[in-house]
Amino acid sequence: MSRYLSVRDMDWTLLVIVLVICSIGVLQIYSATRGTVWQDAWWKQIIYISGGLLLMWVAVSVDYHTLMNHVGWMYFLSVLALLATFLIGKQVFGSRRWIPLVGGVHLQVSEFVKLVIILLVARFLTDLKTEQLEAREMLKIAGLVGVPMALVIKQPDLGTALTYVPVLLVGLFLAGMRWKYVLTGAVLFVLVLPVGWHFLKDYQKARLVSFLDPDRDPRGTGYQMIQSKIAVGAGGMWGKGVAKGSQTQLRFLPVPHTDFIFSAFAEEHGFVGVVGVLALYFVLIMQTVQNAQTAPDRAGMYICMGIAALFLFHVLVNVGMVVGRMPVTGIPLPLMSAGGSSIWSNFLLLGLVNNVRLRRFVN
Amino acid sequence: MDARAEANRRLVWLAGAIVLWAFCLLAKILSIQVVHHADYAAVARQQQERLVEIPAPRGTIFDRSGEPLAMSVPMDSVFVNPLRLPDLKVASEILSSILGMDRDQLYGRMKWYQDNHRGFMWVKRKITLAEAQRLRSLNLEWIEFQTESQRHYPGGSVAAQVLGSVDREEHGNWGIEMSLDTTLEGIPGTARLLTDVKRRGIDARLDNEPHAGESITLTIDSRIQFAAEQAIAQAVEEHHAQTGSVVVMNPNTGEILALASYPTFDPNRPPHAGEDPKARINQALSSPFEPGSVFKVVTLSAALETTNLTPDSIINCGNGSITLFGRTIHEAHGGYGSIPMRMVLVRSSNIGAIQIGLRVGQNNLYDYVRRFGFGQRTGIQLPAESPGILRKLTRWQPTSLPSVAMGHEVSVTTLQLAQACAVIANGGLLVRPRIILRKGDAPYPSAPPRRILQPETAITMRQMMEGVVVLPQGTGHRYARLEGYTSGGKTGSAQIYDYAARHYTHSYNASFMGFAPVTNPAIVVVATVNGTHGTAGFGGPTAAPVFRVVAQEALRVLDVPKDLPDEPVTNVAEGPKPLESEDDVAIADLADPSAAAIEQRAETRMPPAGPVPSPVVPDGPRVPNFQGMTMRAVVATASEKGLPVLLDGSGIARVQQPAAGAILHEGERIRVLFAR
Repeated sequence: MSRYLSVRDMDWTLLVIVLVICSIGVLQIYSATRGTVWQDAWWKQIIYISGGLLLMWVAVSVDYHTLMNHVGWMYFLSVLALLATFLIGKQVFGSRRWIPLVGGVHLQVSEFVKLVIILLVARFLTDLKTEQLEAREMLKIAGLVGVPMALVIKQPDLGTALTYVPVLLVGLFLAGMRWKYVLTGAVLFVLVLPVGWHFLKDYQKARLVSFLDPDRDPRGTGYQMIQSKIAVGAGGMWGKGVAKGSQTQLRFLPVPHTDFIFSAFAEEHGFVGVVGVLALYFVLIMQTVQNAQTAPDRAGMYICMGIAALFLFHVLVNVGMVVGRMPVTGIPLPLMSAGGSSIWSNFLLLGLVNNVRLRRFVN
Repeated sequence: MDARAEANRRLVWLAGAIVLWAFCLLAKILSIQVVHHADYAAVARQQQERLVEIPAPRGTIFDRSGEPLAMSVPMDSVFVNPLRLPDLKVASEILSSILGMDRDQLYGRMKWYQDNHRGFMWVKRKITLAEAQRLRSLNLEWIEFQTESQRHYPGGSVAAQVLGSVDREEHGNWGIEMSLDTTLEGIPGTARLLTDVKRRGIDARLDNEPHAGESITLTIDSRIQFAAEQAIAQAVEEHHAQTGSVVVMNPNTGEILALASYPTFDPNRPPHAGEDPKARINQALSSPFEPGSVFKVVTLSAALETTNLTPDSIINCGNGSITLFGRTIHEAHGGYGSIPMRMVLVRSSNIGAIQIGLRVGQNNLYDYVRRFGFGQRTGIQLPAESPGILRKLTRWQPTSLPSVAMGHEVSVTTLQLAQACAVIANGGLLVRPRIILRKGDAPYPSAPPRRILQPETAITMRQMMEGVVVLPQGTGHRYARLEGYTSGGKTGSAQIYDYAARHYTHSYNASFMGFAPVTNPAIVVVATVNGTHGTAGFGGPTAAPVFRVVAQEALRVLDVPKDLPDEPVTNVAEGPKPLESEDDVAIADLADPSAAAIEQRAETRMPPAGPVPSPVVPDGPRVPNFQGMTMRAVVATASEKGLPVLLDGSGIARVQQPAAGAILHEGERIRVLFAR
């Protein structure tokens, strides 16, 4: 089997785009954190990316079928690790997400659980023998995904927990979920949620968000979002230039290197820069979808589509939050936001995409 | 592969939904970044930038020889944002202990500001450098400073009413400070301060440079001014009068060399409780009074020009009384038969003046009163100048002519009298008095003089007025003679009319207007003491000595060549006390026929009120050593320490009183003498 593996067959387009996005991210982290306590974040990020490339190679080299065969163990370990965060987790902003590793490194378990969820959903849906998905099966997989999700919500980290949902939904949809379920779900979602949302008063919305995720907003609800919108708006068409974004540089923008990196980027590079970066993400996701279409089997397709759904969800929710279309839930912008766990889990996912791609001629 | 086709179909659906979502976001970004960019940029600017005003230094006011009379020194003021204070109790504790304020009061004030959501509160303005240094050394970010400019008047109360004063914002609220406020204050600059989220200044951009205010040079000579203030203060205190004023004027140019008003105030101190409200009024131009006999100069000048009367023409003074319109008017003391017109002025005969006035006629008299500038403002650049009162001719009563002839039914200011006396002194030209010599470096424009008397008339009047001082019968004799100089003048004492009781009282406005030397007068000095009592409160004994002291000092300062040999002159101060028979009062009881002549009243003399010795308190700030410092350095040092100083002379500090290291008692000032 290994004789089919060739470095030439890697998705080089994908890799180049990923590295371009990472570079933009490093530059933006550098620009946004100059003179702050986070001013070392940019070179740490370079180290994380280098490590991520290694992890990616690891994720490519082990056949995804092998990984799927061991998903039961991985699932069990994930739940254990999530439970462990409650016991030995490090508390930041009132939330226990990180477990300490050797050498002062802290790992955010929930980021890596994404990987397991994707493999789990792919395995579960591949093992189904029916053309149409039955409600019983749907509930079963939902329950399986629900357990780690509940644990992550309890940390509390609503944002990361929500990222598991699109993986499940896209998998179910592609696996032949009945249209009536899809439509019922869609209608319920489209009608009830926004309508209900608009019937709420502003303070109720704020309370709702605060209730679901109280610790993301320590300095008054809405402050971050208001400052972020101001930063984006102040950027204008062409932006203010690198390291000249006053919202960012004068610290009005909170956490400008992690969750709100897109806001800082939008202020310094303007609408033109924003469209450019979104185009890169678009190509990245489309490339992943293309890999799903050329996948050798349904398992490969489910994996790629799960990853595409995950990236898309991350980008849309993060950008939506930055421009005030989404509540502030703390979802990082993949590959740009500073943070080792996020970078590594993303590179592992990209490794899986290439894993599937390299084995497309196997069958 | 049906399932595969189905999956692909579903992928298209998924892509459609995603594209829709993405377009929603893109539209939102477009709206924020491109359509509403200006709004967001404005909000960003608003929260990031703070517009800061850079105060322009206020212009200095100099006297004519370049001595600073008013100048500005920078000082720190402390403010806090009560909404950002970490702890009101701690904050009020720290601030009150360093700034010497009441802790509970400060706490209450902060609390009020906090409760009312005010984000700015002055803690204390214009603190001393020592206080500022202690506060700065605490390095607390919630204590904020603003540099403000503090007006300082080095001479203390010297020329206080002329200079005026400024409010806390350094806007002039009185005197020259007010009337030339726009010239002095300059144009403040603006800067935009870029602040971060904790309101710390990161970067400042200067929008407009501040333009310093222009300096003003006054015509005042602070040496003459000082002498005038001393003399009038002494005269008012000695005669238990209420107010007094002195004007010293150059008759040829109209320049006011001194303009003193008593009581006075210290412009370094803001208005405070217990202050005499009269102190801020410039008595010389804001308080008109009935001039009385000094006005006879106008009557006689008119007579010389409009009638055939000469100084030697015999005037029938009716032996002390005259009956007009059924009313009898008396001389103040005794009576005269027929005397020459010259002696009418010398002895200040009321009946004589009335007789002359009747010859002049009311049309001519009114014309000359107007010509001399009465009933109109002189136009001096000082606020609250009174035009005095001169009734229109159509409103004159039959008794008005004799009244005006001897200086009643009109009110004038000391400044107007100086302007009128200058006409006699300069040979017949009405010269408008001026107080501003230069604005910046440019000379301040003045109105051209206007001829109102024939030169011969003025010269004749000068000679007659010299008689008032020189002749033994003169009302100013022994009071107004100068050492080494000839002088001329006229006394005046007018009863003060009590408007409530509708009759004239026995208190007087005593005045003296004079000039020296007689042949070519260099100065005109007019002194007025208001509210004197008895005959000792007449113009001769009260106001003329002020003239003498001030004129003597002015002539010395101006270095006017002497026109008399240096020999001691016996004035009342040294010589025997003359009989108080000088007939000086212009009887004003025309409206009251039953009123008798002024009763002779023994003056109840009181011992002069000396300074009350203040109890010795063994604490107070130590006097620093000023010796060898420049004036600016002395002022800066003194204002840092909050010590009151009086400066004298120019150059480098040579002598100081009290000496360095001594304790400065409450109310005491440090006097520093400068010399080159």
